[in-house]
Amino acid sequence: MRRAGAIAVLVALGLAGLWALDPAPPAPAAGRLRLATTTSTANSGLLAWLLAPFEAREGLRVQVIAVGTGQALALGRRGDCDLVMVHARAEEDAFLAAGHGVDRRDLMSNDFVVLGPRDDPAGIRGMEDPGAALARVLERGATFLSRGDESGTHLKERALWARVGVDPERRRGYLKAGDGMARCIEVAHQKQAYVLADRGTWLAMAPRPDLAVLVEGHPSLRNPYGVILVNPARHPHVNAEGARRLLDWLTSPEGQARIGAFRVGGEVLFHPLARE
Amino acid sequence: MDFLWEGVEEAVRLIARGDRAVLHAAYNSVACTLTAVLLAAALALPYGAWLALCRPPLARTQVLLLRWGMFTPTVVVGLVVYGLLSRQGPLGSIDQLYTQQAIVAGEFLLAFPVLGALTHAAVAQLDPVVAETARTLGAGRARTLLTVLGEVRLPLAAALLTAFARCFSELGVAVTVGGNLELETRTLASTVVLDLSRGRFGAALAPGLILLGIALLVMLVAGRLERERRR
Repeated sequence: MRRAGAIAVLVALGLAGLWALDPAPPAPAAGRLRLATTTSTANSGLLAWLLAPFEAREGLRVQVIAVGTGQALALGRRGDCDLVMVHARAEEDAFLAAGHGVDRRDLMSNDFVVLGPRDDPAGIRGMEDPGAALARVLERGATFLSRGDESGTHLKERALWARVGVDPERRRGYLKAGDGMARCIEVAHQKQAYVLADRGTWLAMAPRPDLAVLVEGHPSLRNPYGVILVNPARHPHVNAEGARRLLDWLTSPEGQARIGAFRVGGEVLFHPLARE
Repeated sequence: MDFLWEGVEEAVRLIARGDRAVLHAAYNSVACTLTAVLLAAALALPYGAWLALCRPPLARTQVLLLRWGMFTPTVVVGLVVYGLLSRQGPLGSIDQLYTQQAIVAGEFLLAFPVLGALTHAAVAQLDPVVAETARTLGAGRARTLLTVLGEVRLPLAAALLTAFARCFSELGVAVTVGGNLELETRTLASTVVLDLSRGRFGAALAPGLILLGIALLVMLVAGRLERERRR
């Protein structure tokens, strides 16, 4: 009995010691800022690079929760983050109109491209209108891979189909991956399918030799990102002050310059957009 | 197949370089899992033994529920804990979402049914004479419990390892309530997911291999302890 007690005490002490050893103890709640954003900004490496000087100067730790646009806005609605950085204007406006967020600002933009097999069986290379290109992919019996996850990219894809009045659901050759951008590109590469991707993720990935950019440059492929503060009136616990400082910094000349200076493989991925 | 080899190389490189993010993820995996399993064991072992020895009312239903709990997908447990800890959930005010504690809570829920059900099975197998003898020799409840658990220590060790394995390799909880935050709540398993989502397959394999390596170490230590106890 006594020995069992001693063992229990030792185990408890051991556990306590284990936790005391945490090589990176969590930031106190006051010095912490939660940013819910899309996988594209986090996976391309932009955020780590962009936020480093802000964190150092302000003594804040920005916790980046990288999910799709739909989920990022849902986290904001529930008050589980302090600000959101997303790319789906219609959903952002709905988020603001419902009172979940305040002070939306344009942040930056990048663009989408239509990727497809290098030998382009559907013959869409060089087409102007991405909607028409998508429609042709299905008409010619090729495969189109959709994100299928309510992400900003998925919403953009839906808008492209809507532009040409085609409903791809349940059409032959229309597949839904339900996964992040890089994984989708990889699946498309393996299945030799067509896919809509943001240029940043495509460039940040290791080369996929059997896939190529086939359609690009059309105005409908522009991809603007916005930052929105989670409404502190509705969620009093949010770090409203820290969130505002981050928002101000991101849209300041300094933050904007840093966005414009970010490069992957020598290419600019995000173009600053904020107006003073 | 290239990426398998690339993964091994990357794993060696990360460990040799002492990569901070990967080391912290490994630490997180070990610390959260150990804490969750030991906390769950402190409750589930007595509970399982009690079900087998005292046959309380609805004992069979409770055992069924425990066994059922072993099947719960880890993401579902993650969702439940998320619902509890979210700002709009009943425990939102304690501000514990996206913390290591949240992961421990989720893994506790994963480990508890495994430990309870397997302890029950082990004790139910045991000759009831053991408990009776202990009692007639004047042992109190606690001492009887310890005697009984001591008699089934091999299956208990297997139960602990099973619970450890379930928590150590799980993803659903770490991602949903941990948030996969670098240097905070990222575990080895969620590092794999992140690298996968970046399309870096070789790099994704590396934390997976480190995870398997640590698991092997744990098994070796456990086997060693088992042998010493039997002597």
